[in-house]
Amino acid sequence: MPLVLRRAVALVVTLLVVSFLTFGLTSLLPGDPAVQILGAEAATEENVAAVREELRLDDPLLARYVHWLGDAVTGDLGRSYRTNQPVAEAIAERLPVTLEIGLLALAIALAVAVPLGTFSAFRAGGLADRVITSTTFGVLAVPSFMMAILLILVFAETLRWLPATGWTRLTDDPVENLRGALLPALSLAMGELAVYTRLLRSDMITTLQQDSITMARAKGLPTWRILFRHALRPSSFSLMTVVGVQIGTIVGGAVIVETLFAVPGVGRLLVDSISQRDLMMVQGVALVIAASVVVVNFAVDLLYSLLDPRIRHGRAATAR
Amino acid sequence: MGLRRTRRPRLAARMLWALVAAGLVAAGCGGGGDDDADAAEPTGARTEKSEQGDPVYGGSITVGLEAETNSWLPGEANFANAGITVALAIYDPLMRRDADGVVRPYLAESMEPNEDLTEWTLKLRPGVTFHDGTPLDAQALKTIFDDYLKAPGSNLAADLEDVEEMVIVDDLTVTYRLSRPNSAFPDSLTLAAGYPFSPTAAAAAGEDAGAHPVGTGPFMFESWERDSQLVVKRNPNYWQEGLPYLDEIVFRPIPDEDTRVSSLTSGDIDVLQTLRQATVAKVRELDGVDTYEQLGNNTGVNIFNTTAPPLDDVRVRKALALAIERDDVIEVLGGTGLVPPSSQPFGQDDPYFSEAVDEAWQDGDPETARELLEEYVNDPNRSDGKAPGEPVSFRYDCPPDPTLNELSQLYQAFWEAIGAEVELRQVEQATHVSEAIAGDYQAKCFRMGVDRDPYPNLKGAFTEGSSTNFTRFTHPDIDAALEQLAASTDVEERKQLVEDIMLTVNEHYPITYSGSTLAAVAVQEHVKNLDGWTFPDGTPGTGVPGATVMWGHVWTTE
Repeated sequence: MPLVLRRAVALVVTLLVVSFLTFGLTSLLPGDPAVQILGAEAATEENVAAVREELRLDDPLLARYVHWLGDAVTGDLGRSYRTNQPVAEAIAERLPVTLEIGLLALAIALAVAVPLGTFSAFRAGGLADRVITSTTFGVLAVPSFMMAILLILVFAETLRWLPATGWTRLTDDPVENLRGALLPALSLAMGELAVYTRLLRSDMITTLQQDSITMARAKGLPTWRILFRHALRPSSFSLMTVVGVQIGTIVGGAVIVETLFAVPGVGRLLVDSISQRDLMMVQGVALVIAASVVVVNFAVDLLYSLLDPRIRHGRAATAR
Repeated sequence: MGLRRTRRPRLAARMLWALVAAGLVAAGCGGGGDDDADAAEPTGARTEKSEQGDPVYGGSITVGLEAETNSWLPGEANFANAGITVALAIYDPLMRRDADGVVRPYLAESMEPNEDLTEWTLKLRPGVTFHDGTPLDAQALKTIFDDYLKAPGSNLAADLEDVEEMVIVDDLTVTYRLSRPNSAFPDSLTLAAGYPFSPTAAAAAGEDAGAHPVGTGPFMFESWERDSQLVVKRNPNYWQEGLPYLDEIVFRPIPDEDTRVSSLTSGDIDVLQTLRQATVAKVRELDGVDTYEQLGNNTGVNIFNTTAPPLDDVRVRKALALAIERDDVIEVLGGTGLVPPSSQPFGQDDPYFSEAVDEAWQDGDPETARELLEEYVNDPNRSDGKAPGEPVSFRYDCPPDPTLNELSQLYQAFWEAIGAEVELRQVEQATHVSEAIAGDYQAKCFRMGVDRDPYPNLKGAFTEGSSTNFTRFTHPDIDAALEQLAASTDVEERKQLVEDIMLTVNEHYPITYSGSTLAAVAVQEHVKNLDGWTFPDGTPGTGVPGATVMWGHVWTTE
């Protein structure tokens, strides 16, 4: 398939550019990785020189990049300067955690936003719509860290239903895992669902004014069928675009929420690695994030054509 | 009550200069105003605990730590306080410091120097094995020393710089041969360089040794998920009869102070460790929670680069020091009523704390400060090369953190009030440290002081060529006193020498001080005996220095 092929080439090119830029930018950072590894006290000139030599930090940038790339192609992303853990292993540990929380947040957000947005549009201007609108604006104004603290206060400290912090692996105990994921996911979902509700509502209002909807009403179809079968699909383009972008950013992790809930996600790993000048880890994580953003965008493009026949048949139409 | 020292080494296991980690701020007392007998509560460490009762065996506890540690292998690991407390479950330190500042054997059976303190002979206890069954003998110590601690890239190599070689005397005895006399050498073995780990296990794990620690400690390593949890289980073959009491400990790094406190409130964790004054104040108020606090040697400071104009002139440095009001600084840092102002890298409870140094240190005198600064400003030969009459200007660096921003602005206000021009700059932690090491700065906020023998730390801070001599300040009197300090085992004489050194340092103002740091361990009431540990010979221990705990002695009644 030429489309898939073109996308694959674009993916490879994007990854090369991203990895080279990450490499270049991180080496521009002031603060010597060797000093971070040794600690201030052991950072004598000889020690620093020895560590820099071992890590090839004195080689020219391009030589280092080519060396790293050579290993990366074979799946070897190197070992962390800071922890000596293989980078690929660290990412494999963290990614499921971040993905679980991100996807759970997305699921919660959509599950609430779709009915809420639809209903709000259906009753546009009514009391329910006004309540929903002002509530979502209110929620939008609360940053995720604030939401996190509020949720902990209510669900962990007061009600004691959910743990305030901590993470259990899905494979160890699925129930505990879910309990631990719920509050972080909720704090992320709140902001998202507010946006989604607003988006869907405005698109839906436009759709509901179209002739096809009037026609469906005239045919006497039940309201739920009109809303969810006929109006939802054409109203969900903006939503789909935003959700697509959102999924792409999930992989990067949510640093603040991960830190607050002490969850071992990608975001914390990335930020710690940057501040400790763990260039190998930064490099590996950036690569994975870039790859997923590209792949997700591709998937969203495909989804558009599934949702809208006009896009699917667009090329054929022009050809004719 | 053994309220002693804090251990706060941020990067290497033993640094005099610990870093200003985000918000790890010192704190101090309100002092001055509220001296009313009924209202004033003394600043400093408090321990409030429930009835302890008799030891109980069994049970599991969860400990919330302020940070994760990069590795558990000495030489590779950067043990900060949160790391040391975990290490003390898995490893036993060969030596430990007692309440009088004397370093005593813990895992070691004895430690004796030769006449001129250039050879230290360490005897091990018979029958101690690592968790994997490998015996702890002289050969094991030598392999650890040669292959790990002194290996290239080891972060302990500088700590052990003076040790030329380790010689096996007999099956259980080794001698450390030093290149020069050092009475403080045993102190090096109280931290990572003195945590023996199984050389067979480390060799088998190779590059991954840092993730699979095998020690001789009261608990055996079970599993580790980075940034999530580390689990240790009871060591059934522990060499100390009757210990440990607990079956299991789960250590969980929870970096956010507020959610760590929430986790204690909600019962997710049983023990909380903190070095932040605001958190100490919070946990004191919690019901059903016991608190164990210690005032450590760590103190907030400003460092001045004594080779960078205009700070190379002592008049300028003294003026800046006199312009400061420590109580106001402590207030900004949230420590009012908790900790006293400091004047040296030794907390009030440390054996090396000096009243004379404390009395000699002055602040809050803007008039004299202004006069001194004017003298420099009008000096035709002023070091910054500016025309007489032009104001002094310099840059002050501090890492980005809301509290530290306030701190910087306060210092700026103090100094501008006496006529200096101060440019504030936020600089990220890694850069901050690199610049300090390279001497590429004028003035910076920092932290200083660690709970160990003063010698290695003062030597690091005030001798030529040391990577931690950030201020570039040296003095012949200090060099001479340091030499005597290394050659003396007499505690009173050593205290006098340390006092002389600090008086000389403070006369030249390479640093200014704010307040001491309070470290605390807060526990649910069912967790007992956090501070009740003893040396194997029965000598009382030193409680929870720097919020680190000897877990083998802790029990739970739940």
